[in-house]
Amino acid sequence: MQIRKPYQIFFAVNKALFLRELNMRMSVGKAGLFWTFFEPFAQIAIFVLIRVAIMGSQGASSSYNFAIFMAVGFIAFNMFKNILSSATGAFTANKGLFAYKQVKPIDTIVARVLVEMFITGIIILMFLFVGFLLQYDLKPENLLMIAAGYLWLVVFSFAVGLVVGIGNTFYLSIGKFVGIFSFMLLIFSAVFFPLESIPPEAQEILLYNPLVHFMEMIHANYIYELDDRFVDYIYMLKWTITPLFIGMWLYVRLEKKIISL
Amino acid sequence: MIELKNVSKYFRTNQGRKYILKDVSITLPDGNIGILGRNGAGKSTLMRMLGRIEFPTQGSITSKNSFSWPLGLGGGFVGNMTGKANVKFVCRLYGKNAKEINEIIAYVRDFSELGEYFDMPIKTYSSGMKGRLSFGLSLAFDFDYMLIDETLSVGDARFKVKAKEALRKKIESCHILLVSHDMKTLQELCQTGLLVHDGELHYYEDINEAIESYNTINKTGKL
Repeated sequence: MQIRKPYQIFFAVNKALFLRELNMRMSVGKAGLFWTFFEPFAQIAIFVLIRVAIMGSQGASSSYNFAIFMAVGFIAFNMFKNILSSATGAFTANKGLFAYKQVKPIDTIVARVLVEMFITGIIILMFLFVGFLLQYDLKPENLLMIAAGYLWLVVFSFAVGLVVGIGNTFYLSIGKFVGIFSFMLLIFSAVFFPLESIPPEAQEILLYNPLVHFMEMIHANYIYELDDRFVDYIYMLKWTITPLFIGMWLYVRLEKKIISL
Repeated sequence: MIELKNVSKYFRTNQGRKYILKDVSITLPDGNIGILGRNGAGKSTLMRMLGRIEFPTQGSITSKNSFSWPLGLGGGFVGNMTGKANVKFVCRLYGKNAKEINEIIAYVRDFSELGEYFDMPIKTYSSGMKGRLSFGLSLAFDFDYMLIDETLSVGDARFKVKAKEALRKKIESCHILLVSHDMKTLQELCQTGLLVHDGELHYYEDINEAIESYNTINKTGKL
């Protein structure tokens, strides 16, 4: 058998895992596939209706399109939530694959992150298409910064997912706890409202949540009427690098234990 | 050649440490090695350590050879995916290109005799069918060592004969590490033997000696 270089093995394994994960998603049947892509539409429609119901005409008559505001933030938040939850179960679900010694546990997380990115990409395209059909003004203020925000969010989600995934392998409660917690985060992450619309005392508290910064960054760069005055990029960086290092450190220490689970 | 240096392996249990290997240093020359030992002595663990998917608590195991995955574990298969898709996945893990993948698929389809089941989800397979698929798949790759864990008994009588024949042919170009309780199979396929007992590892240049020692252990409880 010819000897492959480490990067060749890494790419081969991740390609194989990526296609396998995708295949598994596709093999859930037509109904499963339909809901993967339709669910975000339904959720956003409901949230827009709720917002209109609560705030009445005031909510409907903001100077920018509220549906676009919701979609941009909600897709990003969903990506975070999905990466986190699929990373949480990655090691335990793929235990059988560690029989192939070239499959390292971290590969299973990387592959799952790539799949979530791919699905998010398709969802974004579908939203753009629907927005185009509805003749919305879809022009973003700064496309590059939005892309940067999304990619940064992927790295952040990967880092947090790695830590949680390792923890969940040894203490199952961690995964459950994070599942409940990430559901609650939806309310406290400035997905439904711009931060400037709430009282300063609440702003101060919410700004401890790194996701708020991501949401504000993405919102501000899509919608002309909003700006990124609340976004603390250094704070985001700290929240990315710290879990990344903790995750890598734990992983290096525990890799063998995870393999021989 | 496989080199074990001061290898210890233990599991923590309620009664303290349960040693599989205790400070073992040995160099195993290349060959078809049969692994013997009583139930729970650590045969499979030893094999998994040689295949580097389990790791010694202390010490190191080194070898320049390539090892297969432990054969016969259906664990790497996805129930929702077809047999073919699963074969493709393993090919990709080993970095095969499209042409090689097609060749391997054709070979496995032919060898495993699954018929139309080959294109159906694995979850519809019986355990014998799964065994046939995984056995055919492992024959399609070239390793220096194949790790086999008591799985020669897959399928019906006719397939067993065929599997053994194919394996005998395969051994001409590679070595095997075989864990088995079937002395006849061990004698047929292996020349040398390894006996795991009480944290010690005994190497025998003749498989028959290994089997004799194994019988002694079974009778008297010690070597």
